Amino acid sequence: MSFFRKLHSFLVPFSLLSWFGLLACTLLYAHPSLLSPSISPPPGWLLLVLQAVFTACIFIQERGTGERLRGLDFVGLIRRLVLGPGLLATVCVGLHLVQQLVQTKLPETGSVLFTCIYTINVGLFVLLLARTNYAWRSLVLFRSSARLRRLWLWFEVLLGITLLFRLFTWTPPFGLSTALLGALAAFGAYISGQQKWVAYLNRRQKIEVILLQLAIILAMAVFVAYFLQTKSDPQLIAPATQHAFLILNAFFAGFYAVIGLLVTFFNLPTAGVFEQKREEILSLQRLTQLIQRGQNAEEVYRMFFDSAIQTVEADAAWLDVEEGAESYPGQYYALQPEQAKAIRNLLVDYNLNHIEYLNNDLFNSSGFRALDLPFGSLIVMPLRSSKRQYGNLYMLKTIPQGFDRESLSILQTFASQAVLSIENLQLIQASLHTQRVQDELKIASAVQDSLIPKNLPIDNWFEISSHALAATEVGGDFYDFLHLPGRRLAVLIGDVSGKGVTAAFHVAQMKGIFHALMQENPLARNEREKFPVPSKFMAQANTALARCLEKSAFITASLYIIDYEHGGFVFARAGHCHTLYYHSIKEEVSYFRTAGLGLGIIRHDGYEKHIKNQFYDYNPGDVMVIYTDGIVEARNGAQDEYGEERLQQMLEHTYYLDAEQIKEQILADLNEFSKGQPIHDDQTLLVIKFKASQPEGIL
Amino acid sequence: MKITQQSTESTLTLSLDGELDASSSVVLDTELSKPEILGNQKVLIDCRQLNYISSAGLGVFISHLQTFQDAGVKLVFFNMQDKVHNVFEILGLDSLMTIVPSEAEAVAV
Repeated sequence: MSFFRKLHSFLVPFSLLSWFGLLACTLLYAHPSLLSPSISPPPGWLLLVLQAVFTACIFIQERGTGERLRGLDFVGLIRRLVLGPGLLATVCVGLHLVQQLVQTKLPETGSVLFTCIYTINVGLFVLLLARTNYAWRSLVLFRSSARLRRLWLWFEVLLGITLLFRLFTWTPPFGLSTALLGALAAFGAYISGQQKWVAYLNRRQKIEVILLQLAIILAMAVFVAYFLQTKSDPQLIAPATQHAFLILNAFFAGFYAVIGLLVTFFNLPTAGVFEQKREEILSLQRLTQLIQRGQNAEEVYRMFFDSAIQTVEADAAWLDVEEGAESYPGQYYALQPEQAKAIRNLLVDYNLNHIEYLNNDLFNSSGFRALDLPFGSLIVMPLRSSKRQYGNLYMLKTIPQGFDRESLSILQTFASQAVLSIENLQLIQASLHTQRVQDELKIASAVQDSLIPKNLPIDNWFEISSHALAATEVGGDFYDFLHLPGRRLAVLIGDVSGKGVTAAFHVAQMKGIFHALMQENPLARNEREKFPVPSKFMAQANTALARCLEKSAFITASLYIIDYEHGGFVFARAGHCHTLYYHSIKEEVSYFRTAGLGLGIIRHDGYEKHIKNQFYDYNPGDVMVIYTDGIVEARNGAQDEYGEERLQQMLEHTYYLDAEQIKEQILADLNEFSKGQPIHDDQTLLVIKFKASQPEGIL
Repeated sequence: MKITQQSTESTLTLSLDGELDASSSVVLDTELSKPEILGNQKVLIDCRQLNYISSAGLGVFISHLQTFQDAGVKLVFFNMQDKVHNVFEILGLDSLMTIVPSEAEAVAV
């Protein structure tokens, strides 16, 4: 393999060398005394060998050149052939004219010049033949079978053998050589039948190809004419060239060109049909591609409209798109909106506006005649899916009988493809939107989850048990704990109006406010002022929220500060549910019914007077139940609410249990009550049970 | 949710029928947002048929409270069921809004 590749790189110098050798030998052969009289003329066989080497080199080199055909660019291939080697014919003619001119002026040098030009022209002709035949090879083998490839190889081998014909002194009997050459010519003629590529040309390309083929034939004819003329020239003193090989090649090159020309020529009338089919396929392809590229519906409509007009060759057309669906209002082609309206109204009168409708004889319809429009044929094609109607396409032609059944079926295909595209786009949009909302909710949910305290405070003075359940992915309930110095614990519970991401955002804000306000004040004059009392906290929180809460949103909250060193707590209620309490001394369950306005309802300094602090000294065994309205407003099948009363009764039955058990019992009762009902609101429940103080060491 | 309107020279009465939840509160908000509503001296809300009010429903009244006050329009609720009144009370709205037992008292306010 590498040997052949190496050989290939030597081909150009070899062919040049052999050509110069040929030139020198021919000159010496014709004019033995040109250099010095002592040199004897070279033998005839040397010339023939040099010719054969030159020809072989050129052909092998052309054979080894890569594929000339780029994609389906047949015109380009032939154009390059004409503009490259084809132009050599003009060189040939030019040289011949120069030689004629010189010969009349300087007859003594004419003979030498004649020999030179003859040799040059032989070289050029060989080059032209090699190029042409290997260009034809690309065309013959275009999408060919393996059998054809084998045939072509045989053709090349057999032609190669004819190159050796002249090198032997043995001359076959005349009949045999004629028969052999005839057989090879017939082989070439058979191969010339392979003209598949012509089918891939459109009308314009076909005309171009015909002209180019003519140019190639002309170029070859020029050479042939030259050689025929010089053949009988008395100045030609050289052995005849490799005629069998060259004649066969010239025959094949010419014959293939002529057949190609004829095939192209006779294909011209059908080119229109081919093109139309091609256009239909391409239009469908474009429509399909639009789906994948995810363009908008308007683009699909425009594409559909243009493709339909082009394909059925309508003289006028318009597209109606159902109102409200798209921003695209439809479009008109070679038609006034008023004319379209007139036709549309007429069709509505006939009740034909929402069905496929073909009328090829509008001039015979009295209604259409009355409109006085220059149209003879009409197609109405609805754009609809099983779900809805998207619009109507109207196509018009000036002549009667302008459309056929085929036009109708093509438009059907286009319309269904367009509807498919539009519905696909809508699906993509919808799924993208859903995906985004889901992603946002996931993030919000994760954020909110991180806001709920994972570890409950533990101390030997009390037990805490908590429960939180969100109705949607993201709820508006929140609670939090904060240990304050001096054995105090701050407990915050609340509910943001609304749900979803906005609510979660306000929850986060509320928690931020809680942690920010519950910081020790370094400027405090006494112990009491170090931390804000609950009413102060609510007032400050209200001021902070006033600026960022939307007008209709509000937050309810309760803040408890439990001092378990002194056995008391203070709390304030900002519109939040009342606190349920079991008093162990009185053995009684009741609500702390204090006044208190929700946060964000009034947004000025007057807020603080709507908030009251409630102080209470607790006893061991007391139970505090803190919750959100999702608990008391939970409903049963009859749409009754769970209510404060039932909650109170539950505590009356369970106050002696642990905090965790009290919570479990309440939740069990709640679930029993609202069994089978969807959860409307978030549910949060905290149970705090105060215990008798125990020495710290025991825990 | 059904909202019926009854208008006299200076008083507009809105009767709410059903549940004032997230979706129906949008309708109510549209009613209360109309600019001509501020031309009344009084807007009375008849809550006899109001079975339930959600936080979104409360939000609608809260958001219009300030506008009404600034325009000198009195907002009065009457015939409120205990259940609904309890919701107003818990949130502390009873201290901000005028809630009276009967229509006669509402007109007299």
